[in-house]
Amino acid sequence: MIKRQVFLETISALLIMLFLYASVSKFLDFKTFIGEMNNQPLPNSWTPFLVWAIPLSEIAIATALIFERTRLAGLYTSLVFMIIFTLYAGAILLHFFAYVPCSCGGVISKLNWRQHLVFNLFFVALSVIGIILKRGNSFKTIITTKNKNSFV
Amino acid sequence: MKKIKLLIMTLAILLSIGGAFATRPHYDCTFSTQYFWNGSGYSPAGQFGVNFGCLSSANSCSYVLVNGVYTQCRVGTYASLNADGLPSKK
Repeated sequence: MIKRQVFLETISALLIMLFLYASVSKFLDFKTFIGEMNNQPLPNSWTPFLVWAIPLSEIAIATALIFERTRLAGLYTSLVFMIIFTLYAGAILLHFFAYVPCSCGGVISKLNWRQHLVFNLFFVALSVIGIILKRGNSFKTIITTKNKNSFV
Repeated sequence: MKKIKLLIMTLAILLSIGGAFATRPHYDCTFSTQYFWNGSGYSPAGQFGVNFGCLSSANSCSYVLVNGVYTQCRVGTYASLNADGLPSKK
């Protein structure tokens, strides 16, 4: 049980590191991030919305993952986010768009799109494992509470 | 268990924020060669204020080449400067 809990904490910590690092990097070099967003094969009219929505959502996910009460919601949101990023990376690799743009901020931008895809898939897997572990924990807590109540 | 959790979370937060600061780029794009989008590709823009200017807008005025990718540098609308130093908007 403790091993399982430590594993879940580690998964949450890795996801927090990913989202927090990505968002802080974007804010620290916001001008470049705006340029990178304009450089993506998406309508430039989306840029003013996306440049705020993406890093703020990443901070929200990281915050949700910190607290026990919001962790499951954080894990689900993280899974949705990572699936969207993975599909986007896949679409770029399959040349769905007119050109191949640069990737995102910080050291993650050093990855090419293929490495990016593998990197994203790893975090998709982590989110899935986290959800399974967290749901298992919640289920066990409910059973334990029910059993305790039935003895009272 | 609470102590372990606190330790893991603190480490994760500190490492991610510290890492972001540590890997922050330390250069000013305006010192690099500036390019502009001519409608079909990127061309060297020359010197800011001499060869080109940026009209006030939220568009990308000039770009710099970062790791083989044209990244926005100056914000605005590109305008080449004529002999009189007046912008002739493209």
